Amino acid sequence: MTSLSPIVSDWFASRGWQARAHQLAVLAAERAGNSVLLIAPTGAGKTLAGFLPSIEDLIANPIDGLHTLYISPLKALAVDVARNLGDPVRQMGLGIRIETRTGDTPASRRQRQRFAPPHILMTTPEQLALLLSHPDSVRLFGSLRRIVLDELHALVTSKRGDLLSLGVARLAKLAPQVTITALSATVAQPEVLRDWIAAPIAPRPAVLVEAPGGAAPQLGILKTEERLPWAGHSAAYAVPDLYETIKHNGTTLLFVNTRSQAEALFQNLWAINEDGLPIALHHGSLSVEQRRKVESAMVDNRLRAVVCTSTLDLGIDWGDVDLVIQIGAPKGASRMLQRIGRANHRLDEPSRALFVPANRFEVLECEAALEAVAGGAQDSETPLPGGLDVLAQHILGLACADPLDADATYAEITSAWPYKDLPRPKFDRVLDFVSTGGYALRAYERFAKLRKTADGLWRIANPQIAQQYRLNVGTIVEEPMLKVRLVRARGNRQGATTGPIGRGGRVLGEIEEYFIDQLVRGDTFMFGGEIVAFEGVVETEAYVSRSFSDNPKIPAYMGGRFPLSTFLAEKVRKILADPAGWHVLPDQVREWLDLQNYASVLPDSDSLLVETFPRADKHYMVCYPFEGRLAHQTLGMLLTRRLERARAQPLGFVASDYSLAIWCASDLGALIESGRLSLDHLFDEDMLGDDLETWLDESALMKRTFRNCAIISGLIERRHPGKEKSGRQITMSSDIIYDVLYQHEPDHILIEATRRDAARGLLDIERLGAALRRIRRHIRHKRLDRISPLAVPVLLDIGKEPIFGEAREAVLREAAEDLIAEAMDFGPHPSRR
Amino acid sequence: MAHILPVADTTPEPVIRFHGQDFVPLLSGALFWPEADALLVADLHLEKHSSFARSGQLLPPYDTGLTLARLARDLDETAAKTVIALGDSFHRDEGSSTLLEADRTRLAAMLEALEWYWIAGNHDPAPHRLGGLCCAEISIAGCSLRHEPRRGTPGLIAGHLHPAARIALNGRSTRRPCFAWDDEMLILPAYGASTGSLNILSPAFAGLFDRTRLRVAMLGRDRIYPVGAHLLVHG
Repeated sequence: MTSLSPIVSDWFASRGWQARAHQLAVLAAERAGNSVLLIAPTGAGKTLAGFLPSIEDLIANPIDGLHTLYISPLKALAVDVARNLGDPVRQMGLGIRIETRTGDTPASRRQRQRFAPPHILMTTPEQLALLLSHPDSVRLFGSLRRIVLDELHALVTSKRGDLLSLGVARLAKLAPQVTITALSATVAQPEVLRDWIAAPIAPRPAVLVEAPGGAAPQLGILKTEERLPWAGHSAAYAVPDLYETIKHNGTTLLFVNTRSQAEALFQNLWAINEDGLPIALHHGSLSVEQRRKVESAMVDNRLRAVVCTSTLDLGIDWGDVDLVIQIGAPKGASRMLQRIGRANHRLDEPSRALFVPANRFEVLECEAALEAVAGGAQDSETPLPGGLDVLAQHILGLACADPLDADATYAEITSAWPYKDLPRPKFDRVLDFVSTGGYALRAYERFAKLRKTADGLWRIANPQIAQQYRLNVGTIVEEPMLKVRLVRARGNRQGATTGPIGRGGRVLGEIEEYFIDQLVRGDTFMFGGEIVAFEGVVETEAYVSRSFSDNPKIPAYMGGRFPLSTFLAEKVRKILADPAGWHVLPDQVREWLDLQNYASVLPDSDSLLVETFPRADKHYMVCYPFEGRLAHQTLGMLLTRRLERARAQPLGFVASDYSLAIWCASDLGALIESGRLSLDHLFDEDMLGDDLETWLDESALMKRTFRNCAIISGLIERRHPGKEKSGRQITMSSDIIYDVLYQHEPDHILIEATRRDAARGLLDIERLGAALRRIRRHIRHKRLDRISPLAVPVLLDIGKEPIFGEAREAVLREAAEDLIAEAMDFGPHPSRR
Repeated sequence: MAHILPVADTTPEPVIRFHGQDFVPLLSGALFWPEADALLVADLHLEKHSSFARSGQLLPPYDTGLTLARLARDLDETAAKTVIALGDSFHRDEGSSTLLEADRTRLAAMLEALEWYWIAGNHDPAPHRLGGLCCAEISIAGCSLRHEPRRGTPGLIAGHLHPAARIALNGRSTRRPCFAWDDEMLILPAYGASTGSLNILSPAFAGLFDRTRLRVAMLGRDRIYPVGAHLLVHG
């Protein structure tokens, strides 16, 4: 039995509490010199479990330096945890100093913390990187005994996790005695996370401690008398039901998948809010002040409901949440479980959650998620090999702190889990990239940032390089955003494109530049809970005016959509293939599926259904891979290329999470039946070879991915001393840089990094590859004389989804044709005619 | 996400008629002047990336090579005997001395074979000794060629502003570099591989053009598109 020191056990006794088993288990492991992965649900006393070993050790072996470093993904969480830990430490009468360090900490205090650190420091991965780039980091972290990593599951699947892993590997070298305690929500593969924390402290082990889960959640799917929509994501049909539900429950969190859905739902709820219930809105595009206001109202229990996006997935505990409602597809079981956990219940009481499908396919998805969550199934992502752009940033940071020995650094870096398999030649290429840009043409030796000196060590060429590094540290690259400012309308003068726009209104929040790019003056969209009209872009601000229209013209902007998880997709396929289980589905959905079975066939779990049918003057091909929108989009791009070569005259495509529709001028059904077009060939995995390469050359998605890699790796600076660079400027120049680099050196290390990121990010090539292998030679073609019931939803999406790529050129062509129709004067000038 | 594929197009290649002369706009952003047998290019910004490299951003050192290759192709196609570079040919004055060996050789060969005028720009005001003639302004066939546009010189052909146009049609929009002109003045798009662009509706263009006489030709992927000024939008 692990014994507590008298001070601590007295404190527990004075509260009438007892240390929980998992808290003691963590303490025991630490006392044995082991590191720990603690998996525990919300409300299980995770914070105390994480810090009990620090308190005990500081009582037994008081030191005068930094003892424990706590790292959280959110600065708000770091501040909250510091407060929660401060209370017991004071009550125990201990002189343990606890401080936070975030981007908001005053420079003077940050400076002081480096020389006179507290015992326990709460910070973020970016601040850790900054601390490590100073030469005095050796002294600062030399005394470190413990690292506590909070919400590790949320960090490890991102580039921030890569940066953190490298920082921890550095700490393990500066403080060889250090142990790591990681706190995590339940994940699919806890052993991977355990290996992640054990890697840098090897050969010492890390042990897994699991706290008992709370009571099983109570889950349900909204039953409705209304007609379930075929397509769309707004769940407008359910708004009256939702309003009643809010009225009859305590504080309710309504989670939606995108910001535009949040806007729409918020608008719709207020339209019928006759009781004036305090219902608030929270998403990542709103201004920080607005979000803070909602958060503090929430903590004070002044709200009945908050419509929110993934911005509230993580973070500090909000007052008493009674009910969590998920509107629209859940997309993943683990994500769902965490959202449900936001209902801040006592452990022995079940949290309550309600699923609200927005269309018929989502009924299937909700059903699948319900089953998965009830069964405790997990589909969280596992961490992947680390990004080379992050590595480049880290190498420069190391060199800023201390002259760098390549062999020792390679050994240190490969002790971080994401980089454990990094081959030495690749490391050397990244080092070369940091030093001189890594170009085959050795043009920049004279401008090198790192130089190898006679003693064989790499040194930064001048102190400005360290200054620039510190200004640009971190892996969070925002989409280029524009501030949205509310101004007076410009009036309706004909052709008033140049008149003065009213100035000086308030800022409503921020919006993605690419969304604004597709708008024309007068287009209306929803933002900050109201419908606004686009007026124009002035420098880095999008001006909008209040609109009096009822329906926004531009339906959606896409912030924060997650693709359907592979795990849920498989479950949905199983539900579809098994009519015996359909009795749990609403009548309308069952009838829809019955009709599909009658008119065509049902997709089953191990083959791919491809339907062809004519409609109006076009011929459609619809397939149902259920692999998520990103993979389907890539598939659509590649299939249309192949169809073009097969002279099937493809005209366009649209992709959803469930299916893909392509339309052509030629009769696809006839081509396939006559054997002139082979579906096996069309869907062959070899499309991921040359076709993919050719497409990547031109893909705007590659450029967007490249921008991130270029910024993180330090090729492009976010900030230059004395100069602020806006997102708008970076976008333009990074596209140009990509073009120049790709044309000349397509195998450059940064293009390689971009390609890898794109493959698992925006293009989801890995998942597409797995799907194509799964369905190989298992394609069922069904030639129909009209659209099938299952094809209706995706065809309804045509015209609603934003359009990219070739369409840009089409705009030019149409404009030119329009001109020719107007007999515009190319040729003799009218004044001289 | 939806995606629309293109259909074949058959409209004729445009010619720009300006100040009594015919000019042929090229996809690269160059302007061929058959009567003068000259190729006009504006804002090459050679050695732009290497000048960023000096300040710690090690951008790919291939921009100069790409721009020169593009220029060689255009000269090949048009068989022009004269090159007139309308200023900002180098991103910095020092650019003429930082050329990599291959680029220097290639440029020297072109300078040897052709009549070449370097008009001074705000980025490269100082004359250099690479060959060709460095000057502030040139007049040919009644047209004045200089770097910065200004009102009050009929027949002025200039660069400097990197014009681009955004047009919107049926709720979609597209932005491309463009040639822009009215009865008095013609501005070329920037030619260099590493140059950005500026919307002709932005304040920098204010008062330069007679908006009622403004014409625009946008650089498409495979051809040049004449576009009506009424379709232009901000951004």
